[in-house]
Amino acid sequence: MSTEFDRQAAAVKADLKRMLDAGCSFADARLYDEDRTERLTLYDGNLETNYGANERGIGVRALYKGAWGFAATADLASISACFDKALANAKAATMLPGFPKDMGPAQPAKGQYRPPVKQDPFHVPMSEKLALLSGIDAGLKDSTVAHRYVTAGFQRRKIFYWNSESTEVDRWQLNTFGTMAVMAPDAQGRTQRRTMELFCNGDGTRGYEWLSDPEAFGGHAERVRKELSEIIAADPLPAGKRDVILLPGQGFLQVHETIGHALELDRILGYELSFAGGSHVRLEHIGKLRYGSDKLNARAGIVLNSPGTFGFDDEGTPQRDYYLIESGILVNVLSSRTDLAEANAKAGRVAVKESGTAARACAFYRTPIDRMTNINIDAGNDGTLEDIIAATEDGVVLDVPVSWSIGSNREHFHFATEIAWEVKNGKKTKVYKNPTYHGHTLEFWNSLDKVGSKATWCLEQVPNCGKGEPNQIMELGHGIPVMRFRGVETGEKE
Amino acid sequence: MLEKRIRDLLLAARADARKQGLEAEFNFHRERSSLIRLGNSSVALSTSEELSRLDVTVQQGRKSGAYSMTSDITSPTQLAEALKVAATNCQAALAKDYDPIFGVVEEAVDDSTGFDPALEALSPVAKTELCKKVVDAVKPMGKYDFSGSWSSGSTEMYYISTANDNEAYRRLTDGSFIMVLKEQDKKWELQAERTQKRAGEFSADDVIAEFKAMLPVYEKNPGYKTHVDRQRVMFGPDAVANLLGLTIWGAFVGRMWEEKRAFSSNLKPGDRLFPESVTITDDPTNPNVFGMPFDFKGSRRRPRILCDKGILKTILYDSGTAAKYKRQPTASDLGNDDFCLSPGTAPAGIDAGRKLAQDALYVPQLHYVHMPDPTKGMFTCSSRFNARLIKNGEFVAPLLSSRVTDTIPSVFGGITAISSRTIPWNVSGTYDRRSPTAMSIPEYIICDGVRISDVADSF
Repeated sequence: MSTEFDRQAAAVKADLKRMLDAGCSFADARLYDEDRTERLTLYDGNLETNYGANERGIGVRALYKGAWGFAATADLASISACFDKALANAKAATMLPGFPKDMGPAQPAKGQYRPPVKQDPFHVPMSEKLALLSGIDAGLKDSTVAHRYVTAGFQRRKIFYWNSESTEVDRWQLNTFGTMAVMAPDAQGRTQRRTMELFCNGDGTRGYEWLSDPEAFGGHAERVRKELSEIIAADPLPAGKRDVILLPGQGFLQVHETIGHALELDRILGYELSFAGGSHVRLEHIGKLRYGSDKLNARAGIVLNSPGTFGFDDEGTPQRDYYLIESGILVNVLSSRTDLAEANAKAGRVAVKESGTAARACAFYRTPIDRMTNINIDAGNDGTLEDIIAATEDGVVLDVPVSWSIGSNREHFHFATEIAWEVKNGKKTKVYKNPTYHGHTLEFWNSLDKVGSKATWCLEQVPNCGKGEPNQIMELGHGIPVMRFRGVETGEKE
Repeated sequence: MLEKRIRDLLLAARADARKQGLEAEFNFHRERSSLIRLGNSSVALSTSEELSRLDVTVQQGRKSGAYSMTSDITSPTQLAEALKVAATNCQAALAKDYDPIFGVVEEAVDDSTGFDPALEALSPVAKTELCKKVVDAVKPMGKYDFSGSWSSGSTEMYYISTANDNEAYRRLTDGSFIMVLKEQDKKWELQAERTQKRAGEFSADDVIAEFKAMLPVYEKNPGYKTHVDRQRVMFGPDAVANLLGLTIWGAFVGRMWEEKRAFSSNLKPGDRLFPESVTITDDPTNPNVFGMPFDFKGSRRRPRILCDKGILKTILYDSGTAAKYKRQPTASDLGNDDFCLSPGTAPAGIDAGRKLAQDALYVPQLHYVHMPDPTKGMFTCSSRFNARLIKNGEFVAPLLSSRVTDTIPSVFGGITAISSRTIPWNVSGTYDRRSPTAMSIPEYIICDGVRISDVADSF
């Protein structure tokens, strides 16, 4: 006897064929059989968020005469109507044609992806989760701490993908997030904060067992609390040009904003201009632009334990690992299949050979766009954090973003961090509060002169990367070593 | 009123909750929306979404739990399941150390005054035709490319709880049009933006005229790289809306104020916060905003003065913060408030503003705004579309990307002029469910001594 899902799958396949018969060159569908989330937040010991959700529905794309149409519905009894709507939208789009979209040669794929998970968080009793969070919360309590919070977030998605090239992909995604933070006012009344996010070295698993591992999360409560008390007692970071050593907790943001987003092909082609901005990178830069010093090796990587690892992207392309920047030279960009033909035609050469497997959508009701996967920096051979500090005459070690702001083409940035440790003559001396640093993207990355070894490398999770119209929140990860940059403007001058 | 089929299901779910002795709140949300996205002078994407969502919250004493589903909400079984999950979450919850406020629909609301069927049904074809007219008229004038988006649609919100039999319903339509013209070699970008409450509120000719009026300054002059210093800045509409948003967050949000994280935390109602020229309200009756008539705890929303001629009057309390700090909630349990910055006395119109400003930077939009220090109201952002240098009251050159790093009290403290004309500005977030939000803002403010902290070599 056929199940409801079988009927839906049959309907999708029939409609994909119908789209080809109607003149489409390509069509695809993503059916979210399940998209579950759970969020728990303890704020000052009170369970302020105790929330579960599930989303179910289908999103359909149709490519007609080089123009895209998309439609989505939560009504799985109306799959054919959804295809019709997508086709109608595509036909409307042909009224103002641009470079005709083309998916290139067919790339049929079949496969399944399952993330490494030992203990599905949705099978863990709520009482056990709350006991874990309460225990961590207790560890954050202190007379100097004014406010504290601990959060856990879980996602489980079961997504089926089909396209008109006979691709059939069945994949699950499961992610676990955790944050703890303490806040207190300093002598000037300014709120200071110290935060810790669930992180890993790239290995391991993504289930509940990760969150409950004290080394990865809960065991850091005492350090976090202690560092806040040091920040409160500290002086503000004096303004000045000095070396900046970024721990992975801040380095991930630097990579995210000034490499990841800047290398998304849709931005480079101008498709994000009206919203989150474009990119300083141009097609002619690919293969030529010195983006950073020769110490810089950035890749769109596959990391076992990361929300940026998903097996197949939302065009059914198997995820692959490749360099974006190799020895400081820009060699590739983040892309889907959709924009390759346009990019290469405009570049007048094959600037981007194949999909960067970056077509991703955050929900069944959003269409895939070019987005970051795991944008990682390869570990270097400059040793440990201590080695890099020992080699630094005048600098600061910075960790965890407080605020981030970047120019619309991602050339100039201004970041504030939670904590700075002063480095003088090869020694960590004291803590400073209110650190900020700012700079210009290429100049900054070209000042990179120390990259820590694999022991300094860790994967920071990003559960909330926003992009697109309508906007989409996406999850990913950044594997980052300790990095040193020379002569950076730090602090704020009046 | 909500479609009978759905309403009956939700009322039955409420009856079911009562039968089980549960205190439950039901919040139904439905959107029918569409968007066209332009890129490289063509329609890069045309989308439409039809989504229904239901949030159920169950409260038992000091415990609460919630569940949300996005699916085709047509079966009593699904609703029963949602109620069951919320109740289970509630049962497993930890008790709070205060008494949370349970939602009560204070008075029945059935508001479709903001609904325009023509805007709900606005087709991708109609949108494309308007955009095509602009592209066809302006593109041949230079090496220009157009991008942008036009989203529109309807939103329904329905809220009931087991506390009484009242129902709160509202249905409205909105649209947001953004079009960007980019010069392909020189890389400057111009933007035209419109907030829409009804179909046919603006025309292609109107947008063409706006671009044409700006183009000469950009075509005839190289980019101007300003200096790092305190300068006079004339902020345009999007920037004013951004500054108002930062002000609300950094000065009037109850949680921030109570926890001493707001820049107003050392003040109490009655104290001076800003100069006399600044009046801020949360006013659902203002014709420029979308006017949310109730919040999602069932409170009726009425005009509320937050800052009266510079004097701090009211702090905003959502129900959670109000319960925690034993304050009165201010009907602020929503994502779509109706904030208004009152007009001033300066002449209406951007051109009148630049004449008044004389020598200044015109910054109509702020990009990537962040607040490193809310306790001082310190924010940072960079200039973007349409930014120009004003010299002797004239726009004379496009402005290279310039960073502002200053505090809200300093910027508002330096206000020398506020336009006497206010306009609607769509600030709807699109991260989550469609929740139309607009601010009523003066079309410009002029401020002295705004700190420019960095300048890029490009736009």
